[in-house]
Amino acid sequence: MLRKVFGDATWFVRDDLRPLQRRVVAMMLFVGVAFLLLLGRLWVLQVLQTEKWRRAAENNRLRRIPLEAPRGTVTDVRGEILLDNRPSYQLLLFPEEMKDPAATEAFLIRIGIADAAEVRARVARARRTSHLPSIIADNLRWPQVAAVAAHQAEFSELQVHPATRRFLPEGPSVAHLVGQLGEVSPEQLAANPALRPGQLVGRSGLERAYQDVLGGTPGNLVVVVDALGKQVSSLDEEPPVLGHPLQVTIDLQLQREAAAAMAGQVGAVVALDPRDGAVRVLLSQPAFDPDLFAGHLEPARWRELNEDPLKPLHNRALQALYPPGSTIKPIYAAGALHSGERTPADGASCSGAVTIFGHPYRCWLKGGHGGVNLYSAIEASCDTYFYRLAQDVGIEKLAAWATLFGLGEATGIELAGESSGLVPSDAWSRRVRGHPWYGGETISVGIGQGPILATPMQLAVAYAALVNGGYRVTPHLAARSSKPPKPLGLQPETLAAVRRGMELVVHGERGTARRWSRLPASFAGKTGTSQVVRKVEGVKWYELPWEQRHHALFVGYAPPEAPTLVVAVVVEHGGDAAAVAAPIAARIFQRALAPGFDTSTILPVLPEGVTPGPGASAAVATRPAPSPVAAAREPSVEGT
Amino acid sequence: MRRLDWWLVLAVGVIAACATLAQRSTALALAAPGSVNRQLLWLAIGLGLMLAFSLADYRVLVRFAPLVWGASLLVLAALLVVAPLRAGTRSWLVLGPYTIQPSEFARVAALLAAAALAGEHREPMLDRQRIARLCVAVGAPAALVAAQPDLGMALTYVPLLLAALWLGGLPWRVWAGLVLTGAMLAGGAWAFYLKPYQKERVLTFVDSERDPYGAGYQQRQSKIAVGSGGLSGKGFHSGTQSQLRFLPAQRTDFIFAVWAEETGFVGSGILVGAYVLLLLRMFVVSLYARDRAGAMLAAGAGFVVAVQVIVNLAMVTGMAPTTGITLPLLSWGGSSVWATAITLGLVQSVWRLRFANV
Repeated sequence: MLRKVFGDATWFVRDDLRPLQRRVVAMMLFVGVAFLLLLGRLWVLQVLQTEKWRRAAENNRLRRIPLEAPRGTVTDVRGEILLDNRPSYQLLLFPEEMKDPAATEAFLIRIGIADAAEVRARVARARRTSHLPSIIADNLRWPQVAAVAAHQAEFSELQVHPATRRFLPEGPSVAHLVGQLGEVSPEQLAANPALRPGQLVGRSGLERAYQDVLGGTPGNLVVVVDALGKQVSSLDEEPPVLGHPLQVTIDLQLQREAAAAMAGQVGAVVALDPRDGAVRVLLSQPAFDPDLFAGHLEPARWRELNEDPLKPLHNRALQALYPPGSTIKPIYAAGALHSGERTPADGASCSGAVTIFGHPYRCWLKGGHGGVNLYSAIEASCDTYFYRLAQDVGIEKLAAWATLFGLGEATGIELAGESSGLVPSDAWSRRVRGHPWYGGETISVGIGQGPILATPMQLAVAYAALVNGGYRVTPHLAARSSKPPKPLGLQPETLAAVRRGMELVVHGERGTARRWSRLPASFAGKTGTSQVVRKVEGVKWYELPWEQRHHALFVGYAPPEAPTLVVAVVVEHGGDAAAVAAPIAARIFQRALAPGFDTSTILPVLPEGVTPGPGASAAVATRPAPSPVAAAREPSVEGT
Repeated sequence: MRRLDWWLVLAVGVIAACATLAQRSTALALAAPGSVNRQLLWLAIGLGLMLAFSLADYRVLVRFAPLVWGASLLVLAALLVVAPLRAGTRSWLVLGPYTIQPSEFARVAALLAAAALAGEHREPMLDRQRIARLCVAVGAPAALVAAQPDLGMALTYVPLLLAALWLGGLPWRVWAGLVLTGAMLAGGAWAFYLKPYQKERVLTFVDSERDPYGAGYQQRQSKIAVGSGGLSGKGFHSGTQSQLRFLPAQRTDFIFAVWAEETGFVGSGILVGAYVLLLLRMFVVSLYARDRAGAMLAAGAGFVVAVQVIVNLAMVTGMAPTTGITLPLLSWGGSSVWATAITLGLVQSVWRLRFANV
């Protein structure tokens, strides 16, 4: 065989050709060595380094695309959709495949993904996690989808990816309730191994409280792409697991009614079932556009929202603290009866003003109420009665009664970030303010002014206890979080007396909210006004600039005989409780209990030319509203 | 026919078969199924050309070498004027739907001229005059090709000149001088002649991580293709590097990577073995040649093909910078296949006429 290939070695016989033939042999050797080297190289690449190059080939062609799990839908107590998903398009960037970051950035800026600085920041962030695709844009518009598709060959590192996005059919009115989404934080990742980097998780509201229910499990899609980044086929798919649906206790009909009634106002509305604490309405105004927080990328407008003096991101229903004003009076009345400090028939005389500790304290009614007892003191919101009560029992008892009804501590609702409010006492004063409690402050606290602060939710829970037979309920948004009501040990006669007073507020001859007595669905409750600035004699509330008007409160319940709904309304700078806050509660009661009644006929009672709320006045936007705490420090001397 | 070198035919047959299979794969990847048929046609015509030239008498052709050489120079010169500019060069002669690359055939003419010069020369060593004539015989067409400008093609003339000088015989100090001159020429080319993209290729080769997505991209993709083929390959039409078009210039410069990816070390070993057999036979023919012209023809042709194969494989496996030198018989292109076939036919003719008494 070898002889055949090489011939029979009859060379070198001719002298004249011999030098040439020798050189040919040398040439053969040279070529032979070169081929040996090549074969060695092929051996190294193909046999010894197979794994390395196989992996490189896989990385070339395989793209692992994280598939987000659509989050669970949320329905209200009737099954109506509160929170849903809608299809949207994301733009993914595969940083390893980016050939020229500057060109990619220029393209992204050109198609209007974001401004130049933001695009550069996102691309830089994407390059830090180079082995994973990053979402470079969320919620693409159609022209952007088309532009990326048209330039796919040029920018193979970009890929339009279908996804879902949170959708709130109700819009801003449920924004605080639903809450915001955000990319999972490093701490959350460390705490929960089921989460994945870049995953969206709830950051506030229901989205956060029920993250485990709504979240679902993200999946993976492995696709084969060609050198131009075009998907050729999909190789492997690990489908995402949809989040579970959640039914909440919210009643969208009532939520809508509350939003309509509060239109243009700043404040909060809370409604709950006093029997078990199921929350029916949770509204905070002003709200924000929930779509801004429905995806991955927080817009630059976040800062704008955060710096808005009206604080639209703040959930006032749970976080804002207001002096309860006269809405505290039924609570003190129940405490006074319970502890035996008063009987319902115990009287007081109101002449319009009373001097205590050498300081004059005025009743809101200039001429005075004359002789009042517990019922009429609640009915007409007589300040003098409660000044005297406060003077008789002292701050510690007032604090104990407020605490009994849940003021000063978080209500325990599922939503995060709840404020616990403030019930002042001598110990609190020494600890926080560094001086002993002043007796004069007790008198102010006696009508819900001064350093006593509560959230709208706390007021609703306290009133629930007044009207449900004396049980502290834990407010909740989902049935699974309901807790058994806790008995407070109050006598039925005590509660009946206080409820009688609150019924008179609406139905009595001297009731502060008597103008709402003729509505089909009867209700009861208590008005409250908390002062923002010292009242000036002879100046009507509507003559003041918006931010100097009093906060208007109304906490009520219906039906009066067997309550199924408690509503707490706070209208910041609403001015007059009975004229502005009570009709908002009235509308919710009518909607809930008087089907078919046209609630839009219930309007706030405003003098000619006065508009409710901050309106569009520039003065409001530039002058920050005083915080409730600051307002509370003003010595307040009146309430309704 | 019986007197043909059937070993050489076998080697060509194996390479042609590999070429067909590899071209079928890339045709699928590039979605150009017709190109396989064209390559097959070229290979068939090439086989015919090889047989035709086998039956010719190489001595007659060598006698007419000056004429052939002169004609090739004229064509090359005319090309600079009449050829259309394609991909930045004027290297293609367009005849209706067909295009021909005359520089491939001109190299055969230069080989014939070198063989003719060797035939006239009877001394064991070359003298100055012979050296000068050899340099002109190879250098003149090379210069015209470089003027097209097709530097890669012009460089394929260099091994021919080296082979002619080596076989003709040069003293050691001349070789030393040549190496020195070559180094200076390379330096001069770097400074004055090479285009930035060509410099980038060399720099990329020296430092392969220099620009993984730019100039280094081709070489990296080629190495991935070859290496990921493993021992037995991914199977025909299953090479992801070629089918998903990560592999650049896969019909031409990087065709070997297509083959290596799909058939693995086994396949690339068979193909390299076929080339080794082909080259071995060409050199053996040279040793058997009846005269100096025949020996020069076979060995010169062998060295030219060998250098092309070596440089191309070194490029594909990441051992040399990308130069644009194709793999003879495997790469797509009719002119290249035919020129190689004619060369092999001449070598066969040398073998057929090896006995002095025929």
